[in-house]
Amino acid sequence: MSKIILTVDDSRTMRDMLRMALVDAGFEVVQAEDGVQGLEVLTGAKPDVIITDINMPRMDGYGFMEGVRADPQHRAIPILVLTTESSAEKKMRARDAGATGWIVKPFDPQKLVDAINRVAA
Amino acid sequence: MTQTSSLAERRSARLAGAAPGPVQVRRSTADGDVIHIVQGEQFVSEDPNICIATLLGSCVAACLRDPVANVGGMNHFLLPGSDSPRGEAADLGIGVHAMELLVNALLAHGARRERIEAKLFGGARVVAGLTAVGEKNAKFAEEFLRREGIQHVGGSLRGDARRRLQYWPVSGRARQVFMASTAPELVARETKPIILPREEDSGELDLF
Repeated sequence: MSKIILTVDDSRTMRDMLRMALVDAGFEVVQAEDGVQGLEVLTGAKPDVIITDINMPRMDGYGFMEGVRADPQHRAIPILVLTTESSAEKKMRARDAGATGWIVKPFDPQKLVDAINRVAA
Repeated sequence: MTQTSSLAERRSARLAGAAPGPVQVRRSTADGDVIHIVQGEQFVSEDPNICIATLLGSCVAACLRDPVANVGGMNHFLLPGSDSPRGEAADLGIGVHAMELLVNALLAHGARRERIEAKLFGGARVVAGLTAVGEKNAKFAEEFLRREGIQHVGGSLRGDARRRLQYWPVSGRARQVFMASTAPELVARETKPIILPREEDSGELDLF
């Protein structure tokens, strides 16, 4: 059975690029436009891995990850942050919010797929 | 207004600050401070006296600002031509990344996505054999704005002539001068597309 990936990113272009890369790799993809929508679809989507941006309107990636981790049901889902940011301070904040890993954009489709398989294993 | 700098100066400036972040080559003139950027760079400012300048051939510069937050900026990117070995998706990725970096820099200065106004410049047909490159860049930029719901309020795309562009990021005023096609440093650059410098760790997984 194919793994389900939830992607959270406010850029339509980025969502399309992620969907293309992940569907091509055989994953099932569920997408949200910001943290609020991400939390709304979380329970129904039952993702195996979550990929989230940091800078988003309404609720950013930190708020989203804290929301995910607040529910005991979702404590163990691997969350990868995919962002243009690379500062140590932001990485630490993401780790504290519950992130599993961090990937700096621009993303390479194959490396992203490898990263997903690694954290989902 | 003095805005001339040699290609060597620009090159060294680019290398000095290749990644991450913008290079700042600031020249003070009677009209205010001028920041020159080249392909692969961007600059964002909240200073109404700052002007961002660049030279464009088939490249595109997107000039974005939020009139409420009083912040704006410019990038300068080039998607390679159709003979690029990297593939179409990777080529478009260069533009997507350049645009996302600029939008995020504005957001970090208090801008809101729905208030951002964009002007697009460049995408000219300047060198025989690279005829499709300008169009590819212009079309990408227009489509990116449309897809992202960013207002496209003006600018100047396509045509046959290179442009010298100046943009005041706070007021959103832009000025362009079409240049003679023989400007040597531009010919040198147009015939040798530069791939955006990538941060060394981009795309790699950093596990916590």
